[in-house]
This record gives sequence, structure tokens and C-alpha cells, in this order.
Amino acid sequence: MIDFHTHTPAWNTVSWLGGATFGVEEFVGFMDACEIDRAVVLSHDGLFNPTPKANDELAAFVRAHPDRLAGFGTVTPRDPDAVAETERMFGELGLKGMKLHPWLQGFSMHEPALDPICEIVAGAGGILLSHDGTPPYSTPSQIAALARRHPRLPVVLGHGGLHDLWREALAMTQETPNLYLCICGTPPYAARTILAEAPAHKVLFGTDAGLSDQASQDYAAARVREIDGWGITAQQRHAMLVENPARLLDAA
Amino acid sequence: MIIDAHVRIGPGRSGGLGVGELVETMDRLGIDRAMIAPGEYATAWDNRGGNDQVTAAAAASGGRLVPYAVANPWARGDAVAELARARDRGARALAVDPALQGFDLLDGLVDPLLAFAQESGWPVYVRTGSPPHAVPLPLASLARRWPSLAFVMGRSGATDFWIDAAPALRHAPNLYADTSYAPWDTVLSEFARDPEIGAGRVVFSTDAPYTVPSAELARITDWPIPDDDRAAVLGGTLERLLD
Repeated sequence: MIDFHTHTPAWNTVSWLGGATFGVEEFVGFMDACEIDRAVVLSHDGLFNPTPKANDELAAFVRAHPDRLAGFGTVTPRDPDAVAETERMFGELGLKGMKLHPWLQGFSMHEPALDPICEIVAGAGGILLSHDGTPPYSTPSQIAALARRHPRLPVVLGHGGLHDLWREALAMTQETPNLYLCICGTPPYAARTILAEAPAHKVLFGTDAGLSDQASQDYAAARVREIDGWGITAQQRHAMLVENPARLLDAA
Repeated sequence: MIIDAHVRIGPGRSGGLGVGELVETMDRLGIDRAMIAPGEYATAWDNRGGNDQVTAAAAASGGRLVPYAVANPWARGDAVAELARARDRGARALAVDPALQGFDLLDGLVDPLLAFAQESGWPVYVRTGSPPHAVPLPLASLARRWPSLAFVMGRSGATDFWIDAAPALRHAPNLYADTSYAPWDTVLSEFARDPEIGAGRVVFSTDAPYTVPSAELARITDWPIPDDDRAAVLGGTLERLLD
């Protein structure tokens, strides 16, 4: 099983998210306990302060288990060095994708500064994952508009529209060929509908692990267990947890 | 005593919940009582049909099911009359949903319904989340306008407005958090350890049919808090609000 949405600890940031610190071996221990074979790991500090240092620290974290952890870095799109930093992420640092959080990081998906960055990610065969589900800058249709500008780039809605925009997330995934959807914090009834109606190869799953007050990431473990109660087929489950994320990650 | 503070009965978009299925789930999970609200269709449109369904189900439940009443605030005087009709049939709380019913929490439309709830001694459930007219802080301001009413902040702003939930709870002492969707190891712990909030201001709900009820209950039974606090969350506080 592949968890497509996890975080490192926040090493340099104090925020309302709080969260316990943990080492990479503890994190792999959490993965083992939940039978997660591989995880996409996103920076936590980079949500608030998207710096090269945040990417360096993320890269060091995932480098300890390259067969199990895939790092997605981040940038401030308007920063004059953002394109060069994106090239460094996929070159020197060996990261597999880009994570953007438009409402926390303070930009719109329509800003032209994103275009050369996306072309670097696409050229490197990488993946773009964005926070979604929240106005004003993280609605699924805004992210789909970016995906349409970069049709070679796989773009992942990181939260499947959450509680109030999941129907929009589903519709955008249906109409946008290079847009994928990660069920992560999406309510179970929405997950069930998405799995029934979205293109079968486009649905992923993530726990958002890494933000817990406990190093054992209790809520993330509960989210994995909760899948048993969603009322989905074994085929849907296997596609979401195994086949779809592997196909995307192995191409990156 | 475990009381589920909010489920919806009847048809909605993307699924619904029948009384038989609810009672089977309650039996399986050891939930003693549940507060039942009309489903999405009835909340938005067929208020009377929904109120009839939940009050009839409650009347046949031997006290196990406690009905909410709904009325679209745009119906103004007719909405209050519908609440009165539902009260006569046994309704014991008010549920409102700014997203489904199309009003702003502070635009005044809902106030006649709140006056009726106050006169009736009813708690009020308000569905919150990310729609801009259903976020937690305006609800706190509304609650401060009605200090003798108890408000349950349905879904506690899940998910991106969890960030506003604790400030809202601090702003209005008559506002209560709802546990549905909220991890104990991030959101609920923040409420419990805050000296201005505490576990006594948190009420358990499954929010069925949108959730996996066993997972909602497991998050509360897994939560490492004192037994007295857990008893308050699982039903003690809500029982007091209903009395």
C-alpha cells in the first residue's frame, strides 16, 4: 500500500498545527504498523516557509529510505530563484514531485510565475500535488485550470475536495485528463462516491500523517483502519492503495 | 451513557440513512441514544415531511431517539409555526444548516427560530465547515447574541476551519464543539487542554450517514483522557443540555 500524503515533522516552525517531532526510523515504524509500504512525504516547515533549507531537510529525511519514501519539495512561486530551486529539487536533491499549498503559501494558481516551474516539474517527469478543498485559492477548479495549462504534468488534488468541494473535485477529475484525486481527510461518504464515479485509475489515498501530537500518528493509523468501513469493493481498494499510486510514482 | 449528538435520517445527496440501520448501528456500538435530524432533502426543502419522520421515529423508540426539528429560515413566520408543530410532536432541539438553507449566520433570518428555541429550552445544532457563511467564528458571535441558548458547532469547522474552532469556543462560552471527523491527537486535544474550553465543552457525534460510525466512536474511546472527561464527551454534557 502507498500513502500519497504524509509530512515530515516541523523542525523549525511553531504553528497551530503543533505536532510531535519524530525521526525517520519512527516514521517508518508507523508505516510498518499500518502496512504502508511506501509514502509520499511533504515538507511541514515548507508549508509555512518554503525555502531551499526546507527542501534540503526533506531530502535528507527521505534519503534514509529511498525505497520507501518519495519526497515532494516546495517553493515560493514568485521568488526569483524558484525556477532554479525547482531544478535543484529534481536534480541534486532527487525529489519526485512538487507540493504547493496555495492558501497557506499565499498565491493563486493562475499566476504566470507558476508556468516555468510547472514546465521544469513536467520535464523532470515529476508530479505536482496541491492542497485543495478550500477557498479562496485552493478550489479544485482553480487547480484544474493550472493542470489544463500544463497537460503533460500529472497534477494531484491533495485532499479530494475535503468536505465542501468534493463534488467539484470529482467533476474536475472527470473532465481534466491529467488531474488526479487523493482521498485524504475527505469524508467516507464522499470517498465512496468518488471511487464509484471517478476514472478508476485516478484515485489515490493519503493519511496526512506527520501532524499528530503523537509520534505514533494515531489519527493516520485510524484513517487507514477506517477504509474497512467505507463500503468499497476490493478492486477499488486495490486500485486506490496499490496500482494507481505505484503507476504515478514509478513514472516519476 | 453514550449519546450521539447528530445524525441525519432520510434521503440526501450521495446516500441516506434509515431508522432501522441507525438502531442496528447503535446496538452494535453500544450507543444508548441518538439525536436525529431530518436529512438534506428535508432540511433544505421538505421541512414538514422531515419533522414528521423524525418525530414519529422518536415516538416509537422508547426514548432512545431524540428528534431535532428543521425549518428553512426564509419561511419566516411559517418556519416558526413549523417548529411549533414539530415541538407538539416531540421535537426537542433545533438543527440549522446555513449552506443547505441559504442564509448567513448573522443576517437575522435565523433569529426568530432561535427565539423559539430559547422559549422551548432547546439546544441548537449548526452545521459548520468551509462555506464562508458557515464558518465557526460568526457562529460564536451569534451564540454571544443568545447567551442562554446552547449551540453545538456541528463538525467543528472541519477541516480547514478547525483552525478557527478554538478561538470560536473561547469567544462564546455557550458554544460546544462536535467531535465528528476531528482527530483526538490534533484537534480534540487542543480543545481539552485549553483552560478556556476543556473536555466539558466537547460533545460526541457520528454525523451518520456521512461517516463510518465505528471509527467516529473509536476515536473517542482511544483518546487518552480521564474517565470523567470521556463520560462528559460521550454523553454527560449533552444530557445536561437536553435537560
